[in-house]
Amino acid sequence: MTTFDSKYDVSKMFPAGDVGVVEGEMNIPTQGASSGDPMEFNTLDEPIKETFLRDLRAVGNKFYHVLIPREKTSLLKEWDLWGPLLLCTFMATILQGSKERADKSNDGGPEFAEVFVLVWIGAAVVTLNCKLLGGNISFFQSVCVLGYCLFPIALALVVCRVILFASQTTFLFFLRLVISLVGFVWATFAATKFLGDSQPEGKKALAVYPICLFYFILSWLVVSHSNV
Amino acid sequence: MSNVNTGELLNFQDYSPEHNDRSARIDVEAVHTNQYSSSMSNPNYTFEEPKITEEPEAAPQTNHNFWSIKYYQKYFDVQTNEVVERIISSVLPQKVSRNYFDERIKGKPDLYGPVWISVTLIFTIAVSGNIASYLQNTNKAVEWRYNFHIVSIAATAIVCYVWIVPLALWAALKWTITPDGHDEIETQTSKSPTMMSLFCLYGYSLSIYIPVAILWMIQVFWLQWLFVLMAAFVSGAVLIFWLLPALRKSRYFVILVGCILGLHFLLATGFMLYFFHSPGSVVKAPLITSTLKPV
Repeated sequence: MTTFDSKYDVSKMFPAGDVGVVEGEMNIPTQGASSGDPMEFNTLDEPIKETFLRDLRAVGNKFYHVLIPREKTSLLKEWDLWGPLLLCTFMATILQGSKERADKSNDGGPEFAEVFVLVWIGAAVVTLNCKLLGGNISFFQSVCVLGYCLFPIALALVVCRVILFASQTTFLFFLRLVISLVGFVWATFAATKFLGDSQPEGKKALAVYPICLFYFILSWLVVSHSNV
Repeated sequence: MSNVNTGELLNFQDYSPEHNDRSARIDVEAVHTNQYSSSMSNPNYTFEEPKITEEPEAAPQTNHNFWSIKYYQKYFDVQTNEVVERIISSVLPQKVSRNYFDERIKGKPDLYGPVWISVTLIFTIAVSGNIASYLQNTNKAVEWRYNFHIVSIAATAIVCYVWIVPLALWAALKWTITPDGHDEIETQTSKSPTMMSLFCLYGYSLSIYIPVAILWMIQVFWLQWLFVLMAAFVSGAVLIFWLLPALRKSRYFVILVGCILGLHFLLATGFMLYFFHSPGSVVKAPLITSTLKPV
């Protein structure tokens, strides 16, 4: 309205061809100030350390919410892929087999890239399944949640790795089995808590099943990893 | 009710018009946005939409692009109890009505079942195949290590089976069905089944192999063969049972039935010998390891 009026006035005062000095005011609706959004602050002149620590804190906060999945807004609201990338790289590094240990009946476990791709493709396929079933969730939100929910399984992997340093007995194998199982149940529970509500009522089990399968496969990799 | 929470998170933010009161034009837009977001905030909106457009035969006519997710949503428009019912019907056909295939699966084929049954079967075979090789090696002094690349071999075999065999069968039915004396206007049941319904049927017919793959871990030779015969017979018989009306009209009825059953039996035998049998007693064993090595 304002711009239209001023233009109209200008063209009336100065006939065509003689435009002269155009004066006006630019009014930008000050939304940031009125809504009081805390993310609206200026990051241009803050030290790098602060920026880095803030992002790190956000990632850590999400890990915390995966471990104690009480409220589901934290992971869904602002997704990032830093946590999934960290977890995925970490798991792939530990789980990779070595060629020297491969003999003629075994291949010595998966390669780094195989685990890495398995995690990302798996998360993408599970997300695609959610979308195809008609869930109202964005692609990267779901990948973010699935990636962050790997955290319990990654913890189980660390514990299993520590156990593997001792000499192996049947009891220790069952201990590893139980630990991975706990990690699996925990991860599935957290992911279901975050993603389950995005599906319509009659399809919830159909969306949850692939999530279970995804975490089950990764837990299986954790249990069967035995290269020390 | 908890649906609403997630729905709110994912919707457009609704800016109230007070912030934009300088311009009348923006006000109009804000009203539009309000209407849009209020229709979007109904959590069932995106999920209802494919249902409205879905017509059993008019599927290709919907204006959704082939490359968009919307196009494929009609193949995933199933409820949990439908999937369970279809899995049961692939093992125990007498539990559902006689023309279940014609009424339900042909009218509304889904890909959810085939896709996830195949994926489950691939990983079940990988996991239990590894446990089987562990059981075979327990008595030996050799330290056992797991074989990850079973996954890729099982995946290749199953994906090929699930996609190529129905495609071939569909083509065979399409070109060998003899036109009988009836009019062109016939009931739906007498038409040859669509490609999608064959994919659906074949995918579900693999579901019996999932429990069988777990049972194959038992290292008793005759028991493993018993499971092969049982699984191949049951799911092969169910396949024939559902396809019989269409097959009967083909000129090569016997050959087609033989091929379906034979391939089904071959798949089961291949799984059992390759993944679950101790390599010592199989002649193929050196070949298997040599193909694995360069991977």
